[in-house]
Amino acid sequence: MTEVLPEDWLAAVEALKRDGFDYFDWLGCVDEIGRRECFRIVLVVRNLGGGAEPRMLSCSLPRDHPRIASVAAVFAGAAWHEREVSELFGVDFLGGERRRLLLSPDFEGTPLRKDEVLAARTGMDWPGAKEPGESDAVPGRRRMVPPGVPEPAVWGDRDSSQPAAEPAEVAESAVGGRVRRRRT
Amino acid sequence: MSTSGESHRWIRLIEPACTSCMICARECPSWCISIDSHTEPVEGLPRGARERTRNVLDRFAIDWSLCMYCGICVEECPYDALEWVGALTEPGPSSESLVEEMVQAAVGGHERQEKI
Repeated sequence: MTEVLPEDWLAAVEALKRDGFDYFDWLGCVDEIGRRECFRIVLVVRNLGGGAEPRMLSCSLPRDHPRIASVAAVFAGAAWHEREVSELFGVDFLGGERRRLLLSPDFEGTPLRKDEVLAARTGMDWPGAKEPGESDAVPGRRRMVPPGVPEPAVWGDRDSSQPAAEPAEVAESAVGGRVRRRRT
Repeated sequence: MSTSGESHRWIRLIEPACTSCMICARECPSWCISIDSHTEPVEGLPRGARERTRNVLDRFAIDWSLCMYCGICVEECPYDALEWVGALTEPGPSSESLVEEMVQAAVGGHERQEKI
């Protein structure tokens, strides 16, 4: 995997195409929150005739303002992938197609960001909150929280004298499982 | 039982195998499985043995209005207590009526439907 800077992205993709890697395979995005404050854009191109290994390009974009040049002019098929990444992660592809691909026009949010909270579920009773041998979830024990719903102390029922939780804390808390013991 | 071509229509609980471990209810992405259980002391242990308890299943219900037939519960069950069968789930006049009580210990609860 070759890491390139955002400003070199378009040129790097064009160079690969000139070198014979003229088959666009896929473009995706990874939310690296918790490790680094960035989104990683990954693009894979292949050389179908030459028998060479596929080439993978990667580029890190800052989480607070992710923007990168669109490569749809180089590989037209990349437009779909860019539209998907754009609506699911909120990454801005400069010069790319702006229409939505999968989500409805009035949908707000970026569902594949790891700090995205499934807000409608925070107010619902989760069937998995009970322990084996219980008919009612007993509060006060080390409870389970479902994926996508942070523990209340982080999001939803946070101490109002505290500032809102950082995105990394929300993301870490929303992976589901046992509510960890909090140091006070 | 079912043939492989039509087996993805209904999920059946094999009650004796269920330990009320809650794994299916926790793994279900659409939150459609509800389980109630309680613990009872195990009887007939040898003299001097430490007291043990076991979980007793009181209620196992799948809300077919929420289920998306992904089969994750069937895959995840460590005791093979859930299985696909070929029969279709029962239609109903309202979304509430699509909650199927597969086990209901309470007196007066309706009988478990035998569909196979």
